[in-house]
Amino acid sequence: MGDKKQFKRALISAACTLAFTAAGTTHAANWLMLQGTEDPAAASRAEVWGYVQAKYEKDYSEPNTTGGFVPPKLLGPELDSQSGFNIPRATIGIRGTGFPLDSRVNYFALLEMGNNGVTYPGGAFAKLIDASVTLSYIPGARVRAGLFKYPGAEEGLQAIHVFDYINFSEASNGLLLERFPNKGFTSCTGVTTPCNAATGNVGPYTEAQLQGGASLNTLNTPTGAFRDVGVQVFDAFDVGNDWEVSYAAMIGNGNGVEFDNSDGEYDKYLYLSGEKKFGGKGARAEGLKFFAWGQWGTRLLDLTNDSTANAKSYNRNRAGLGVKYLAQPFRATAEYIKADGMIWEGPDKPNFYFTSTANGNGADAKASGWYVEGGWYIPSTKFELDARFDTLTRNENRNDQYTFDKWTVGAQYHFNPKTRVTLNYEIRDFECDSGLAGCTVPNTNLEGVGNKVGLQLTMIY
Amino acid sequence: MFKYFQSAILAISSLFILSTATPALSADQSLADYKYVLHISDMDPSKQELILNNAKNLLDAYPPGQVEVEIVAYGPGLRLMFAENVNAQRVDSLSQSGVKFAACGNTLKGMAIQLGAEPKLNPVATVVPGGIVRIGELVKQGYIYIKP
Repeated sequence: MGDKKQFKRALISAACTLAFTAAGTTHAANWLMLQGTEDPAAASRAEVWGYVQAKYEKDYSEPNTTGGFVPPKLLGPELDSQSGFNIPRATIGIRGTGFPLDSRVNYFALLEMGNNGVTYPGGAFAKLIDASVTLSYIPGARVRAGLFKYPGAEEGLQAIHVFDYINFSEASNGLLLERFPNKGFTSCTGVTTPCNAATGNVGPYTEAQLQGGASLNTLNTPTGAFRDVGVQVFDAFDVGNDWEVSYAAMIGNGNGVEFDNSDGEYDKYLYLSGEKKFGGKGARAEGLKFFAWGQWGTRLLDLTNDSTANAKSYNRNRAGLGVKYLAQPFRATAEYIKADGMIWEGPDKPNFYFTSTANGNGADAKASGWYVEGGWYIPSTKFELDARFDTLTRNENRNDQYTFDKWTVGAQYHFNPKTRVTLNYEIRDFECDSGLAGCTVPNTNLEGVGNKVGLQLTMIY
Repeated sequence: MFKYFQSAILAISSLFILSTATPALSADQSLADYKYVLHISDMDPSKQELILNNAKNLLDAYPPGQVEVEIVAYGPGLRLMFAENVNAQRVDSLSQSGVKFAACGNTLKGMAIQLGAEPKLNPVATVVPGGIVRIGELVKQGYIYIKP
């Protein structure tokens, strides 16, 4: 707790120092500044844009000894097959300034119509994933309000349509891409609809059961999508010698792309980055960036194995730091993420939001992960080679501590700056590694987790 | 004596009026072989970059002193000449290379009403009474009219 407070204080102190000492603002290419800060006196009233991704994936995992499958062996968001085509993202957005004579007000809206963790759980055809207005009237303190990406880890904060891999690292997926517990308490006994995982579990399911309609994805609300609804104060400062420092402080509902705040508490976010800028602009701007972030919130959860609704509040804290280097033809990124509370499970049991009491519980467990990745844009060609290693340890020091290691090797071909195809091959090593009895059953399911191949076409318009 | 004095006063006054009435962007004395007026009145931000590129390309295409370029902005296109415009540095640079910038006074008045105050213009821009009138004058002087 002491470390956490120190980290928070350091971030606040650094942000305040910057706000009061740095002179002038820039309109630099960083994720905080790439939306809602259109070029002064040159913004459209309404610019329509978006992106589409189409992919094919095949998972080579084997079922457990009784023919059962668990989520890491199946393709999301349906979790009922091991190969198939999908349109994970199909968005249409609009951005600009409502009153072109005043460059200090900008807006940004994006509608997601792809089949993914945002649209599938609620059965939505489309979901609003961005709707924000940015006011830039106060020097050094721009204000953004609405639904937007919270300031945090690079993988989450960066624009997904320029993300160099098909799937996120396990740490980002497991610790940051938030799955929310089902709101209403429902016993899982005797029901097939979404239920509270604490009272039971679903699966593993055999292929026949899955084809017969059994559902492993019992989440009933969209994933967090690295977003929140709230207010953010932020800005970027040119501090000389091509260095730019950015900060952001946000308060939000802590409920992802949903608009309610059922627990009455707010999530707090802090972000700080320093970047040596090498040149370029937009999402592919070149530079060397160091960043650190933290977020603090609570979630309501009913864990008791009874028929009474008695939800309790649990802390959900996250923090991380990292570095990113991009200068053609090379790219390198490293990031470390730490999590405390509300650790989503799901590895060996489908909607297993939290582990059984015997193993301790994900609601108050700890986890951490990191990844390192690099890319090489082969000079004088349209090809790019990528490689990433990532690891996640969840339920640290618990009876059912899991370690997920993953190598991803990839190649991309850029037809043009806005259209590319991405080939990824994932080599996965997932296991429960506490060495205790709590790992016996999980490992019967995790031993068969195999490799995965994916081919994805991305087009930005 | 009084008549001479009156005539002198009249002559001096006329000269004063003439000198103040002469637009700062007078171009009819130009010795350049090629003269272009570039017109921007669009909201589209990409047109801002395009017209600046056009001006630069024209300067590059001719030997020094052989080409005269003037950019005339009115309507939504006047944003190009706002002091805060993201392309302000390029505007400054082109101005130093001899490109002239004319800002429409009528548009400026209209914008002042909408904003509650007149927008601050790039110092290199010269306000002309009417952008469209300025284009007409330049065309009459032999300028080639271009609207990218």
